[in-house]
Amino acid sequence: MTTHVPTINGTAMTGATSLVKSLEAAGVDVMFGIPGGAILPAYDPIFDSTIRHILVRHEQGAGHAATGYAQVTGRAGVCIATSGPGATNLVTPLMDAAMDSVPLVAITGQVPSAAIGTDAFQEADIRGITMPFTKHNYLVTDPNDIPRAIAEAFHIATSGRPGPVLVDIAKDALQKQTNFTWPGKIELAGYNPKFTPDNSAILDAAKLIAQSKKPVFYVGGGVIKANAAKELAQLVEVLGAPVVTTLMARGAFPDSHPLHLGMPGMHGTVAAVTALQKADLLITLGARFDDRVTGKLSTFAVNAKVIHADIDPAEINKNKYADVPVVGDLRETITALIPALKAELSKNRADLTPWLASMNNLRATYPLGYTLPDDGSLSPQLVIERIGKISGTDTIFTSGVGQHQMWASQFISYEKPRTWLNSGGAGTMGYGVPAAMGAKVGAPDATVWAIDGDGCFQMTNQELVTCALNNIPIKVAIINNESLGMVRQWQTLFYEGRYSNTNLDSKRVPNFPLLAEAMGCVGLACDNPGDLDATIEKAMSINDQPVVVDFRVHRDAMVWPMVAAGTSNDEIMIARATAPDWDSQEL
Amino acid sequence: MSIHTLEVLVENEPGVLARVAGLFARRAYNIDTLVVGPTENPEISKMVIQVNLEGHSLEQVMAQLDKLITVIGIKELVDGAVKSSKHDTQPDYQN
Repeated sequence: MTTHVPTINGTAMTGATSLVKSLEAAGVDVMFGIPGGAILPAYDPIFDSTIRHILVRHEQGAGHAATGYAQVTGRAGVCIATSGPGATNLVTPLMDAAMDSVPLVAITGQVPSAAIGTDAFQEADIRGITMPFTKHNYLVTDPNDIPRAIAEAFHIATSGRPGPVLVDIAKDALQKQTNFTWPGKIELAGYNPKFTPDNSAILDAAKLIAQSKKPVFYVGGGVIKANAAKELAQLVEVLGAPVVTTLMARGAFPDSHPLHLGMPGMHGTVAAVTALQKADLLITLGARFDDRVTGKLSTFAVNAKVIHADIDPAEINKNKYADVPVVGDLRETITALIPALKAELSKNRADLTPWLASMNNLRATYPLGYTLPDDGSLSPQLVIERIGKISGTDTIFTSGVGQHQMWASQFISYEKPRTWLNSGGAGTMGYGVPAAMGAKVGAPDATVWAIDGDGCFQMTNQELVTCALNNIPIKVAIINNESLGMVRQWQTLFYEGRYSNTNLDSKRVPNFPLLAEAMGCVGLACDNPGDLDATIEKAMSINDQPVVVDFRVHRDAMVWPMVAAGTSNDEIMIARATAPDWDSQEL
Repeated sequence: MSIHTLEVLVENEPGVLARVAGLFARRAYNIDTLVVGPTENPEISKMVIQVNLEGHSLEQVMAQLDKLITVIGIKELVDGAVKSSKHDTQPDYQN
C-alpha cells in the first residue's frame, strides 16, 4: 500500500477526521461498511473523503468483500462497522482472513470510553473477542493515538505473513479534537518479520534437492501472497520435478504445465496425493501441512525429507518436522535458490526420469473425472467445467464451501495467480458472493464468477443488492442440488444414507431467479444439459448488471477422489469403495 | 514432562496479560505459575511463566508467543540464567 506523508501534519481536527485522513494516508481507495451509533462520527468525514465507501447489507459481507478485494489486488482490504453487533458480525471474516493469511484492516466504533465495561447499549469487547484470530488488534480511546494505530495496522496486516488487524475506536475519541500527526517509519519492538533467508539454509536446501531422486514441489498459498509465481516457474524448470498446488495455491503454477500433478489433499488427484506420499523430498513453499493435505500425519510422506520455506517461523516444525527450515520471504527465497540449485546440479544431478514416469503414469491412469447422471439431468461438475472453459483463464473465480468448491478447484483450469479465491482454512459457507463483490471492485475489468452452492448462497446473497446498486456486475452460478451437498455426501458414506437435516428443498423454495430479479440482478435458470452452453453464454453477455444462474443439478453427485477425514492418504478412494489399483503401479 | 521457566518481555499496555494467557488457553497449553512485574523501562513489563512442557510443545509455545506483536522477547531460564540449548523439534504424530 503506497503511503505518503500528508501535508496536513499538525492540523487541528476531530478524531473522526483524523481517522479518515489516516486511511487516505495509508493509501486506501475503497472500503466496505455499514454505519451505526458508535462509528457515526467517522461517517461524517467519510462523506467528503476521496475513499469510495460501499454500503453493504450485512457486516459479514463487508468483511468478505474486503478479503476478496485484498486477494485480487494484494493490498489490504478495509471494512468498517459500528460497535456491538456490527463488530461481532465481522468476527467470521476476521477469522477467515487469519486462516488464509489475508491482509485485512477492520475499523470498528466502540461505545464512549467512560461507558466501556458498563454493558452499555451495543457494547461488545470486540478486541477481546478477536484476539485469537487477528494478527494484532487495538482499542483506541485517545484521539491522538488514531493515526499511529492506523499506520501500524496497515504495516502489520500487509507485511510478513499477512493477516487481519482490527482497530476499535471509542466514540468520544472520534468526537474529540486532536492535532493530526501521521507517523514516519513504523518500528515495533515485538514485530520484525525476517525477509531475507539465511544463505546457509539456501545452500542446504539446494544440496538436498540435487541429491533427491523423488522430489516434489509442495506449493501453498504463500507463493501467491509473496507474488512469487514467476520465480516458482523458473525454479521448477531448473529442476524439472513434479508440482502440486494446494487449495490455496491454485493458480500459483499453471494447470496446463506438464509437470503439474494437480491439487493434493482430501479431494486431491491420485497423482498429487501419491507424489507427496512416495516422495523422498518435499520442497515445501508457503504451505503449512494442513490436516486436509496430510491426512493422518503419522502416515504422511513417511520417507520424505522436508525443506520448509515460510515467512512465519512458527509454521516450521508445527505439524511436520523440517530437515531444512528456510525462514524468509518466498520470492527472495526462490530467487536465491535458483542459482544455488543450478550450481549444485552442475556438480551432481540425480536422474528423475523413473520418478516422473511413474507420476505421469498415475496421472494418465487416474485423471480427474466424473460420470454423467443416468437420468439425463444436469451434472454439477459439467456445469462448472463449462463455465471455466467458456469464461476463460483471465476470469476470477470465487466459491463458497462444499462440493461445488472442490469441483471448482478440480474442473476449472487456473493458469494465473489471484484468479481463484476461496475460504480454505476456515471453510466459511457464504464466502462466495461477497468475496466476488470485493474481487470485482478490486479488478473491475475482469469477469468475476462466484461458483456457489444453494446452501452457501442463502447465507450471504443479500450483497447482490449492494452489487446491483453500486455497479458491481458479478456473475453467480448457483450449483443447486437442493442439499447441503458435502454434508449429504458424508451422510451417504459414513451415516448409512441417513440424511438428517441436509435437504434444503431449494428447487422449490426460494425461486432463485425471482429472488435475483428482486435484488436488481438478472435471474436465469438451467436444468437441461442441452441448454447449458447457451445459458452460460447468455450470462457472459450481460455486463451492466449482476447475473444469477440457478443451475438445477443432480443431487447425488459426489466429490472424488477422497481421503476420508482422519485416515491415511494411502487410503485414497477414486470412487465409492474403490481404491486405485496399486499393484499395477511402480512407485 | 518437566517444568520449564520462560522469561517474556512484553509491552506494558492494557490487555497484554489477556493476549498471553489466551494464547496458552487456545493452543491447549497449561500455565503452572505466572508472575508479572515491572522492569527499569516503564514501557516494558516482565512475565515469568512456568510451564509443564518440553521438546516440541515447548518450542511451539515459544514460537507462537513470539508472534504476538506485544511480546518483545522470550528467553528460557534455568536456575535464573538464560538457557541456549535447543529442544527436540520433532512433532509427536499422535493422529
